[in-house]
Amino acid sequence: MLWFRAEEWAARADQLKADGWRAIDLCGVDRLGVADAGERFEVVVQLLHMGRKERACVHVAATGDPPTVPSTAKVWPAVNFMEREAYDLVGIHFDGHPNLSRILMPDAWEGHPLRKDYGVGKVPVEFVPQPFLQIDAPGQAATSEGAGRNVDRLGQPVAGEDAVSRPDGSMSPSGAIVPNGDES
Amino acid sequence: MSVDADRIVSGFESGGHGAFVESYDEGERMVINMGPVHPATHGVLRLKLELEGETVVRCEPIIGYLHTGMEKECEDQNWRGAVTIVTRMDYLAPFFNEHVYSLGVEELLGLEVPERGRYIRMLMAELNRLSSHLVWFGTQGLDMGAMSAVFYGFREREILLDFFEMVTGLRMNHGYIIPGGVWEDLPDEWEDAVERILDVIPGRLDEYEELLSLNPVFLERTRGVGVIERNEVVALGATGPIARASGVDWDMRRDAPYERYADLEFDVPVEDAGDVYARYLVRMAEMKQSVRLVRQITERMPKGEFKNLDPKVTPPDRSELGRSMEAVIHHFKLVTQGYAVPPGEAYAAVESPRGELGCYVVSNGGTSPYRVHMRDPSFVNLQSLPVMVEDGMIADLIASIASIDPVLGGVDR
Amino acid sequence: MSDAIGANFVTAQLDKLVNWARKSSLWPATFGLACCAIEMIATTMPRHDLGRFGMEAFRASPRQADLMIVAGRVSQKMAPVLRQIYDQMMEPKWVIAMGACASTAGVFNNYAVVQGVDQIVPVDVYVPGCPPRPEMLMDGIMLLHERIKRGEYDAKRVTA
Repeated sequence: MLWFRAEEWAARADQLKADGWRAIDLCGVDRLGVADAGERFEVVVQLLHMGRKERACVHVAATGDPPTVPSTAKVWPAVNFMEREAYDLVGIHFDGHPNLSRILMPDAWEGHPLRKDYGVGKVPVEFVPQPFLQIDAPGQAATSEGAGRNVDRLGQPVAGEDAVSRPDGSMSPSGAIVPNGDES
Repeated sequence: MSVDADRIVSGFESGGHGAFVESYDEGERMVINMGPVHPATHGVLRLKLELEGETVVRCEPIIGYLHTGMEKECEDQNWRGAVTIVTRMDYLAPFFNEHVYSLGVEELLGLEVPERGRYIRMLMAELNRLSSHLVWFGTQGLDMGAMSAVFYGFREREILLDFFEMVTGLRMNHGYIIPGGVWEDLPDEWEDAVERILDVIPGRLDEYEELLSLNPVFLERTRGVGVIERNEVVALGATGPIARASGVDWDMRRDAPYERYADLEFDVPVEDAGDVYARYLVRMAEMKQSVRLVRQITERMPKGEFKNLDPKVTPPDRSELGRSMEAVIHHFKLVTQGYAVPPGEAYAAVESPRGELGCYVVSNGGTSPYRVHMRDPSFVNLQSLPVMVEDGMIADLIASIASIDPVLGGVDR
Repeated sequence: MSDAIGANFVTAQLDKLVNWARKSSLWPATFGLACCAIEMIATTMPRHDLGRFGMEAFRASPRQADLMIVAGRVSQKMAPVLRQIYDQMMEPKWVIAMGACASTAGVFNNYAVVQGVDQIVPVDVYVPGCPPRPEMLMDGIMLLHERIKRGEYDAKRVTA
């Protein structure tokens, strides 16, 4: 792992590129709250040397307000989109980037979502209690109409073939398993 | 192979069937917006095109239409729960997302994965590579008018999805590969199911080659189209089949092996032309190599544990909860809080069907990830699209997008 | 003679006929966003053939479509596009929210995802699942067919 300051990053990047290292990944990290004396924002670059089959990890501390780091988009064109993403989500400015604009969030978005002082944006979920749906157990007569299986898929009550009219003039639910044949 | 193709193409052209471009007024540039809702952009990709007639002068991809805030959402879950978030990133290759995240967390925890777990992971990964390339094959054909390709590709994919459902319970977005191994063992009938897959798929792959590889119309539409040179590929950070089709001989499974790929034998197909046809050939050959790998993995599958049974990380078997107080306490802590990972950072990478999929994990000692950054191959590969389509026609643009095989879930996360 | 004529005529109520025609040739607009889009494509594929309902013709132009299957998570950037496509569709039109993310944002309760597509467009059928199996989507589509057959497509557009 290598640690660089922002001022030397541009020169170091040129050296690394000349040595044959390619940039694989670049991301911004907000170290607010991590027990560490140092800058709050840093850029982490993963490098790969295909010839030597080695990997390296570079940390560049971003200085200033807004946190700024020199851009390496001209050295490694691969990091173009990655730097835009770090700017968009973490708010790190890249000096010298050809087109530093928001890439993932809408253009008019305010704030940098991956910062630690930006909330997740959870919306409280409300569970509305539904009326209790009485499902008949075998051997149990239904207590009311429209319960259990006598509504069709769209919620419309259905009088089945074996529905029987009750003494009070209402229809029994269809398919009710009635012990001792009480409903007749 | 290329000698045949050359002969076929020249025969086609001399028969008067080649393409030609009508004249247009130079200097009359149109800026046209393509997407985000478009049948041929593989998802919600928006392209700002500058056109002169049919020729694409400039192409600028505008992304973000599927941004889900996954990296932030992972910080809100515990280490085990973040697998379910991460798996929905590159939705055609969900096992790879889970795999790379698990590798990162295991590196931070110093957790050993037992042999059987490693082999199961490789099995699912290679089958997933097959199913992902089948979708690519289908959409490549569909976008270029060979509609039967998509029906064939998805028909084969159903066989693979049946296997995934048998093992993990889901067809997609499984949540199966977790830090420590895999969640559940393979069911008893898995060998027969894989045998059936291996009986059917290689024959079908040969059929697809017959369908497209020497098809004169396909050759006309893909040879010399969407060319990207080797130095451009390396500079733009493109990995995977795009890089291998331009002569970059790099495959993480062979050159930086993870799990037990070093014990298996397979070839890495590399082409030189860097056009759509070369990417097609590379992916077709990769499918065959995946079949070869699946055969070897099935033969060598070891017996034993499939996940690390360290009680600090893996909940104990439910049968133990009635017997052991420690098991109850461990289970309680793991379910309510999750496990804590020592502070540190790690970068893990796997070779996904689209290229190098990486995961950079940072822990500050807590039970939730501090920072999870997924290096998605499509996000980086999309930067090579403008280079591929410059000075080509719109129809070639469509073919090039299909040959990059972007998955916008990974691009936008 | 009157018998011959009688055998060649079918009488029906006009709106029942119209509803039957509408439900039998619902053409979806391509609005696949994320993982659910793959399962939506799989529903049209040989194993789960959506073509048996006459619905395999996914129209790219919203003007020619009458059903929008929102398949996948809708991000904040995509929301205006979704509304625009919905507005461009001709009446009568229906919306199926496919998957947990379209119904209620699913696993993603955060800043970037619209918490349910019914915040933007009125939804007729919600199909839960992550992603729903092709059979589940077809079940939701058949439920919508039932509603169309009953002529309930104005039910959601209550003037308010």
